[in-house]
Amino acid sequence: MDWAGNTTAMTNRREFLQKLLALLGLTTFASFLYPFFKYFSPPAGQAGAGTFVLSKADIPVGEAKETVVNNTPCVVINRPDKGFIVLSRVCTHLGCLVDYQKDKKRLLCPCHAGIYDLSGNVTSGPPPKPLQQFPIKVEGNSIIIG
Amino acid sequence: MWKYVKNWIEIRIGLSELIRTHLTGYLVPANLNIFHTLGFVALVGFIVQVITGILLLTYYVPQPDHAFKSVQNIMVNVPYGWLFRLMHVVGSNLIVIAVGGHMLSVFFMNSYKKPRELTWFAGASMLLITLAFCLSGYLLPWSQLSYWATTIVTNLPSALPYLGALAVTCLQGGQNVSGVTLGRFFALHVVVLPLLLLALVSVHLFLVRRIGISSPPFGRAGEKKPWTAFRHEDHPGGTPFFPHFVLKEAYMVMVFFALLFLILTFAPTLFLPEDANMPADPFKTPAHIKPEWYFLAPYQMLKLVPNKFAGVSLQIIMTLVFLFWPFLDTNKEDNLLKRRVLFAGFVAVFIGWVVLTVWGKYS
Repeated sequence: MDWAGNTTAMTNRREFLQKLLALLGLTTFASFLYPFFKYFSPPAGQAGAGTFVLSKADIPVGEAKETVVNNTPCVVINRPDKGFIVLSRVCTHLGCLVDYQKDKKRLLCPCHAGIYDLSGNVTSGPPPKPLQQFPIKVEGNSIIIG
Repeated sequence: MWKYVKNWIEIRIGLSELIRTHLTGYLVPANLNIFHTLGFVALVGFIVQVITGILLLTYYVPQPDHAFKSVQNIMVNVPYGWLFRLMHVVGSNLIVIAVGGHMLSVFFMNSYKKPRELTWFAGASMLLITLAFCLSGYLLPWSQLSYWATTIVTNLPSALPYLGALAVTCLQGGQNVSGVTLGRFFALHVVVLPLLLLALVSVHLFLVRRIGISSPPFGRAGEKKPWTAFRHEDHPGGTPFFPHFVLKEAYMVMVFFALLFLILTFAPTLFLPEDANMPADPFKTPAHIKPEWYFLAPYQMLKLVPNKFAGVSLQIIMTLVFLFWPFLDTNKEDNLLKRRVLFAGFVAVFIGWVVLTVWGKYS
């Protein structure tokens, strides 16, 4: 009972204040939570629209050249049977960089022994999908990536 | 003078009553062994980490262009910098042993059972936080080893559908490990994790003191009273916490320091392989990169399980089982030796862990 002897009014007022408090608390919490998550989610990287040119003479048949295309470490391979291919070196398992093994004609990830063929397909180990392949054009003596 | 100071304190906080109730008059089971001291050893280890960590902070620069050089500077130019850095590195490994040993002994003595489920949960969370400390601290020297170990670990959530990719970019702060990742891990290592650990240590110690130390199930006389209501587990006829048990703890703390300085003197590079002394190269993954010894078993498991999602999910499930074990094990028998199936399972898991660790090391 309040000082005026009005119990119901007091209870209603208290319930209303409790609900208002919960609403304000939730609003404040949500107002903090949204920017908190946005703060830790980095903005999307700039789309890699640029092209990259290499000389064919730099990569004899059976050889490979490591390079970086649009911030992604890549390897350009001159395959004896199928010609040039540009593959991302980022292993699709856990992000280590694969190495080209000329003698075994494969790409090996040194972290968990994932193995890819020279087209980027998984031949053994834990990688869940093939290596990312970049579009290329071979014009004259140049290899145009991207 | 001392008497005056003592009296001055006594009047204000009642020191003698505090000492009587919490130290000399606080009785603990007479059959406590050295395994019961490992929690305290880990606590002392954390204090060593805080002190050496603060000392390292005065010279360390958390920036990709300077991090490796600043650590080399600490090792080579700063007087006794090598000592404090190696104490920090070796100390972190010894803490993992102490916390792991503490958890093992609690499991073996079934001390996690009712009413101590929350005490186990807080302790198990602290083990995970200890490992998070090791992981976040690993990146800070910005070496080849630290860079690629962090690349692997931060890519682990990518195995999970829907939120996995988002979690990876949130952890790395971009598409790969970079200066942003270093900043995040630095903040985690020196602010977020210490605060979390402090909170958990407080909860853990509060629970231990509030419920009382459990007596080992081996050689216990008489029937145990069922836990139908809250009570403090008293140990009439036990030994005083101080000086008896504190002496035992002090002995094990000295074993910790002896081991620490033994390694520092005779095997200073035990936990610093060659790749830890090379600056990070984001375009070259070193061959045969291996995680620290305590991550070798999960590392080998990831290699063996052909499906990435299955491999990561299996490890998440095992971690959850470990965290919530007291809630899953509802058997009333608290002597592990009388529970043959659980004992056999425990031995199998332990041997499996050792085999995977050795396999991971030499694979």
